[in-house]
Amino acid sequence: MKIKKFKVLVIIFSVALLAGSASLQSALAAEPYHLGVALAITGTGALYCKDGVDAISLAVEEINAQGGFLGKHPIKLFTRDTHTKPDVAVREAKDLILRDKVRAILGTYSSACAVAIKPIAREYKVLHIAAISNSENITKINYSPYTYQVVPNSYMQAKAVVLGVAELAKRKGWKEYVTIASDYEWGRSTQQNTVSLLKQMAPELKLKKEFWPRLGETQFTSYITAIMAQKPDFVVGSVAAKDNVAWMQQAKAYGFFEKIPYPGSLISVSELIVQAKTLTRGLVGLCRAPFFAHMDNPMMANFVKEFRAKYGRYPSDWAVMEYDAVYALKQGIDKAGSIDTEKVKDAMKSMTIETTRGKLVFRAIDNQLSCSSYLGVVADDPNYAFPIYHDLVEIKGPDSWRPEAEIVDARLKEKK
Amino acid sequence: MKRMWWLALVFIVVLILPLITGEFWVHVLVEILILGLFAASFNMIFGYMGQLSFGHAAYYGVGAYATGLLMVKGSVPLPICLLASMIVAGLCALILGYFCVRLTGIYFAILTLAFGQLIYYIIFQWYSFTGGDDGLQGIIPPDVLLSANAYYYFTLIIVVAALIAIWRISESPFGYTMRAIRENTERTRFIGINIRRYMLINFVIAGIFAGLAGALWGPFNRSIAPDLCTWHQSGIPVFMTVIGGPFNFFGPMVGSVIYTFLMAFVTGFTEYWPLTIGLIITCVVLFMPGGVLGLCEKKIRVFRSRAPQLDPIETTEGKSSGYGG
Amino acid sequence: MDVSLLIAQFMSGLSRGMMLFLIASGLSLIFGVMNILNFAHATLWLVGAYCCYTFWYVLQESALGLWVSIGLAAIALAVIGWIIEVILIRRVYDRDLPEQLLLTYAMVLIVGDLIKLTWGVEDRIIVRPNLVSGPIFLFDIPLDSYFIVVILVGISVAIGLWLFLQKTRYGHIVRAAVFSREMVSALGIPIPRIYTGVFVLGIFIAGLAGAVQAPVGSITLGMDMAIIIQAFCVVVIGGFGSLLGTLVGSIIVGEVYAFSILFWPQGALVLIFIVTAVILIVRPWGLFGTPMRV
Repeated sequence: MKIKKFKVLVIIFSVALLAGSASLQSALAAEPYHLGVALAITGTGALYCKDGVDAISLAVEEINAQGGFLGKHPIKLFTRDTHTKPDVAVREAKDLILRDKVRAILGTYSSACAVAIKPIAREYKVLHIAAISNSENITKINYSPYTYQVVPNSYMQAKAVVLGVAELAKRKGWKEYVTIASDYEWGRSTQQNTVSLLKQMAPELKLKKEFWPRLGETQFTSYITAIMAQKPDFVVGSVAAKDNVAWMQQAKAYGFFEKIPYPGSLISVSELIVQAKTLTRGLVGLCRAPFFAHMDNPMMANFVKEFRAKYGRYPSDWAVMEYDAVYALKQGIDKAGSIDTEKVKDAMKSMTIETTRGKLVFRAIDNQLSCSSYLGVVADDPNYAFPIYHDLVEIKGPDSWRPEAEIVDARLKEKK
Repeated sequence: MKRMWWLALVFIVVLILPLITGEFWVHVLVEILILGLFAASFNMIFGYMGQLSFGHAAYYGVGAYATGLLMVKGSVPLPICLLASMIVAGLCALILGYFCVRLTGIYFAILTLAFGQLIYYIIFQWYSFTGGDDGLQGIIPPDVLLSANAYYYFTLIIVVAALIAIWRISESPFGYTMRAIRENTERTRFIGINIRRYMLINFVIAGIFAGLAGALWGPFNRSIAPDLCTWHQSGIPVFMTVIGGPFNFFGPMVGSVIYTFLMAFVTGFTEYWPLTIGLIITCVVLFMPGGVLGLCEKKIRVFRSRAPQLDPIETTEGKSSGYGG
Repeated sequence: MDVSLLIAQFMSGLSRGMMLFLIASGLSLIFGVMNILNFAHATLWLVGAYCCYTFWYVLQESALGLWVSIGLAAIALAVIGWIIEVILIRRVYDRDLPEQLLLTYAMVLIVGDLIKLTWGVEDRIIVRPNLVSGPIFLFDIPLDSYFIVVILVGISVAIGLWLFLQKTRYGHIVRAAVFSREMVSALGIPIPRIYTGVFVLGIFIAGLAGAVQAPVGSITLGMDMAIIIQAFCVVVIGGFGSLLGTLVGSIIVGEVYAFSILFWPQGALVLIFIVTAVILIVRPWGLFGTPMRV
């Protein structure tokens, strides 16, 4: 008998709880803006994502100081760890949408995660702004009107690299090269774009071998000796975050960079800072949003100042782009005059936005922001405690993104 | 009779639950069902055959990938995919199980672990076919199953059917032979039973149901990833079964309810889920061998032995053996 | 393909193998004597790496500090190992295999999260002393000079363990315990003491291995998960409880990996598990082990 009574009590209690929470939600509805963040707090991407998370909270603080979106919807942040794994990312995205009721998800580190989250966001009609993950497949194929990209995608980055490398190769008489790229969506996409663009622009170059270390590899020794065994004229790398640091550190221990040119591979501000002491000077590197390229832009100058005041360090590319992502969302909401996701999504279509990197525009066909890629030479600078890029070349978005006709083609092919 | 009454009550609750909870909890319920079936299939090897498989996720993952690949690359209807997953996972279990059943104890555990990792790395490295580390996206169930509730009822029907099948198998002469093998392999051999063949058949059946559970996972989550086959995933049914109680038919399912609910609850406010479940497992191992149901049974027995006996104690299948004694 | 490059590849495999040997020798010892498969071995190895970082940091990031830190980390891990043995492992000596496995698996999760709580999610990098930071050239073949340290430590541990097992009374008891616990116990030697000693020794080596690994790349969460199964493979290939087997097994795994990167990169990890499975099927007790009680 006792047990029965207890059970009845439990049932009554849970029903009351459910009813209570439902009514509470309806009373507060439309007030706070629930913003989800799905980044790699742990795993390979953690090196970049800490900066991303910090920049987002800074932007959110700034906006909330003015009363929130539209001056009346304070932002509530929900941050989740994707572990740099697509299955975890999907679980966390569903959690954010169903439990935390977010209206937009900022993220992710891994392109594989972005590609996995995209359909979920589309299904539940939630905005998805990719600010670190940049495989062009996020926006090129299987298009979702809810997904926006504020980072130069893998095609744009590859194009920038190829422009630089093709010229270098001609000057130095290079013939053969080897690629090393992380074995997942981003590495694959970047490597393929680089190789096919190199074929177009410098057909005399020959790809000798491809190496595909897994995402999260920590021991690159065998890859390093194997690449050196190929004796290539140069190596193009697409390795990121922790993997990139491990790879470059171990390669340096083999005297790799003195022997083999390694032009145009990703060396973001994070790598510049983390490896300040050990990074080989004179490397030609590629990055996505170096703050020092835009210090003349007041928004960037202000962001760097605030970020340094709050966290005591300089913001990396990833911080810059996540910060821009929040402000892209803000400008979308301002334009829509509402936090309703459908309206915001439509307002953001081909919208021109103010970013720390200047005035940029979302391209209508794929929601890709017209942001630049940057190539430069790693060199010490008296103004900073870490090396930065000198002879920085900015390759503008509209000069480097994939022609629209090719995107239409790719989508037609996909339909078949 | 009493048990039937309980089952009916549980069944009614299970039917109306999704109607009163939010969509988030419906997703948790689907997870409970799928992982519960996964754990129940694992327990065919662990509870009934007495061998610890540490690579059971291989068959789960293979099932998930069979359905995923057929749906994404071939647009094959879901029911056929489920069937195909069972066949592929079963074949996989047949080939690998052929070697596994030659070993027992720690060697069985390690060989299943090694095979599990082998399958994992094949899927992981075969980028052009399986999508490698990216996994497979766009596994969208047919329109009628698109809503969370619809998919819940669909999963419920399949999982209940599968559980009934496992129940029937465990209560058949075959099931009792498995228990005999667990309790005393030598003696069972002497009565003229081909131990290896029986163990292999059991292994394959367990693989088939794991494959079915895996097949349900992809359309539920809209995507799959190779991590479904790792040894961490193989650890999940072990945890569930040990928490619930390996010597009760409902143990794995109860374990799945506890594990999955707890996980959904705990991850809501802390990222330290591994620490939480690690501590729980440690406590269960140290203080509660036999799991929650084992503990309940013991308590009930004590209670009943004190109270005047009204009806004879029902025999539960696979009484607690020397295990954990 | 010329010979010098094959040698370079061989050396990279050897250094990888030595890393694995350092982890697997403790694992093999613990399993051989105590019959407990320690899932948490690599997690404790990672704790060793983090401890080494902390000591190095406290010792002003100096060159001498690094060598001292490696020793201190190993000792710290021995203490941690002792605590774990007394609090947890001791309780499950008489339990069945699944419970022992689950307990050590649970330790993986608990210790993993404790590492996260203690050291945070950021990577730790130990800047190597100049002496071992650059490449050295062996007949024009580039080698990471730090791997000389790794190989030397690996060899010394191998020799040290061998001397201990062959030449000391305690070592004889341990070897006897691998063969027959009942016999040792019947001779009036307290088995629990032997067990505690062996577990502490195993974790000490794990700590040493982790500390030696620390300066190779960055120290990051989750490194343990990737390596533990490979360490199992080593132990399986070599044979549980066999020191020579573990040495050979780790070199096999290291070389299979290194050379498949050169010839069949996609199959590197697959091959290791195929080798392991074949050994388990054909010779479950491993190349150098003896058939044991199951």
